[in-house]
Amino acid sequence: MASVGQKNLRETSVVTLLLATCLSSAALAESIKEYRYTVGPSANISVDTQYGAISVRSGSGNQVVVTATLKSDSVEVDHQQTGNRIEIASHLLQGANEQTGRVDYEVLIPPDATLSLRSSTGPLSAERLHGDLTLEGTDAVVNVRNVENGHVHVRTMRGPITLTDVHNGHVEIASISGDVHLTSVTGPFVQANSGSGKIFYDGDFGSGGDYKFSTHTGDIEALAPADVSADFSAHSMLGRVQNDFKLQPRHSRFSVEEGRSFFGTVGKAASKVVLRSFSGRIRLKQR
Amino acid sequence: MTCSDVQRVLPEILDGGPDARLAPEFKTHVQSCPDCSDLVSDLKLITSEARQLAATEEPSPSVWLGIAAQLRAEGLVNDALIHEPESLKTSVDTSAAPRPILVPSAPRRRWSTWWLAPVAAGLVAAGSYVVSHKPAPQMAKQQAPATPGPSASPTSSEETPTVTVAPAPAPASQVAEKSAPPTPPRHVVAPAEELAPSDEDQQFLSVVSTRAPSMRATYESQLKAVNADIRETQAYVNQNPGDVDARQHLMDAYQQKALLYQIALDRIQ
Repeated sequence: MASVGQKNLRETSVVTLLLATCLSSAALAESIKEYRYTVGPSANISVDTQYGAISVRSGSGNQVVVTATLKSDSVEVDHQQTGNRIEIASHLLQGANEQTGRVDYEVLIPPDATLSLRSSTGPLSAERLHGDLTLEGTDAVVNVRNVENGHVHVRTMRGPITLTDVHNGHVEIASISGDVHLTSVTGPFVQANSGSGKIFYDGDFGSGGDYKFSTHTGDIEALAPADVSADFSAHSMLGRVQNDFKLQPRHSRFSVEEGRSFFGTVGKAASKVVLRSFSGRIRLKQR
Repeated sequence: MTCSDVQRVLPEILDGGPDARLAPEFKTHVQSCPDCSDLVSDLKLITSEARQLAATEEPSPSVWLGIAAQLRAEGLVNDALIHEPESLKTSVDTSAAPRPILVPSAPRRRWSTWWLAPVAAGLVAAGSYVVSHKPAPQMAKQQAPATPGPSASPTSSEETPTVTVAPAPAPASQVAEKSAPPTPPRHVVAPAEELAPSDEDQQFLSVVSTRAPSMRATYESQLKAVNADIRETQAYVNQNPGDVDARQHLMDAYQQKALLYQIALDRIQ
């Protein structure tokens, strides 16, 4: 009797296990969907997902190709083209969570398209584009690379932001606590603000641009070549400042406070650079 | 009268032009509908606070334009003229320009989170007011002697706003302006006391708890951080009212809080 009971129990366990596996597989069934659109010049494309990565690169011609990987059937993709405007959005169904509601997007767009990306979790990435870009994420890691001539607006709550090789753009970055890392970023207007995140800049500050970096508690570090041409202003209310350059004095409405501020020009002062922090440390380093 | 009707006529009612025929219906509905009642209370509070701000110093037009742009982007207001009930139309229309109206929520946006937008806007406006409000009479006491360093122009003729405060950290390996004269006396910033969350913050967290419970702790900690930044900077500005940079930092701190509200608004609807 005991052996029969054990056998029944074993069989029941196996069936239950198989059933559970099937059910969970069904619930987490990953699927891939592809959408293709034809657009005209300067199309407007937006991709919005609560959970998941969005990666955008320039494609060829006037085609927009969206590949969406849905992690389960607890989420759908709503997509719509209205003329030259395309809207893609994840649509969470009842009971979806961060795992089951995740949709990862890979998108190819014409390089001149205006792009808007939003994801809470990210990561978000955009590269080889020259239209206007807006990227927003709560915790999303944001990467923008090889972008020129467009506006680049990024905002996150905690997600770190990295811009690399962004030129001739109007760049505005805001984060509450995310770090901001800018490498070879130049343009007529480059502004980054983070509350407690750090801001790091490595570049030559271009020629004729207006650069403003500010934090509350985060440190600011700027690394520039010896032949940089800029008018620098740096001030930390409660933190320290450090400067490797030999700055030429200039008239300023502010006075220098030792260790907490410095002002002056290098070269022909082509660009204006303002570094401000409430209590973070500011360093201007020579490469 | 439905909730939608209330939202449509609310701006008129709040502007002090209640229609005689609609007022009883409006009042009856608001008394029976908690959502509309909360909405009216919130808007009255915001309107009242905004009037107080306007009475002292108006933020720059760019602030309002930014707020309007944000509200339009969120679809919360529409510049198109609404089809007003005949009873709401006055015999003499003195305003040629169309008035922005509240747009009823989209069907899938079932939760009343739109109030976050005006609250965020209010934060920016409040920050703008605080930054632009200058208690000039105290400046003389706060100002320290100018201390021009070698890389700064000694010819600056303007009065130097007082700088800082607080125990200085250990000097960096190479600080700027090594040969500058000693730093003038500093005012120490009192540590920012942690205050109880405001009604708006509590409402904000309540909505987050309902719509995105997993994010509650995150938003709460971020909110505490930005509030602490505001208090810290405000304390500094109070002690150094002539410090232009400090005022800018205070504005930044308010904008950080507005950013937090906006991010929440985007994500939890």
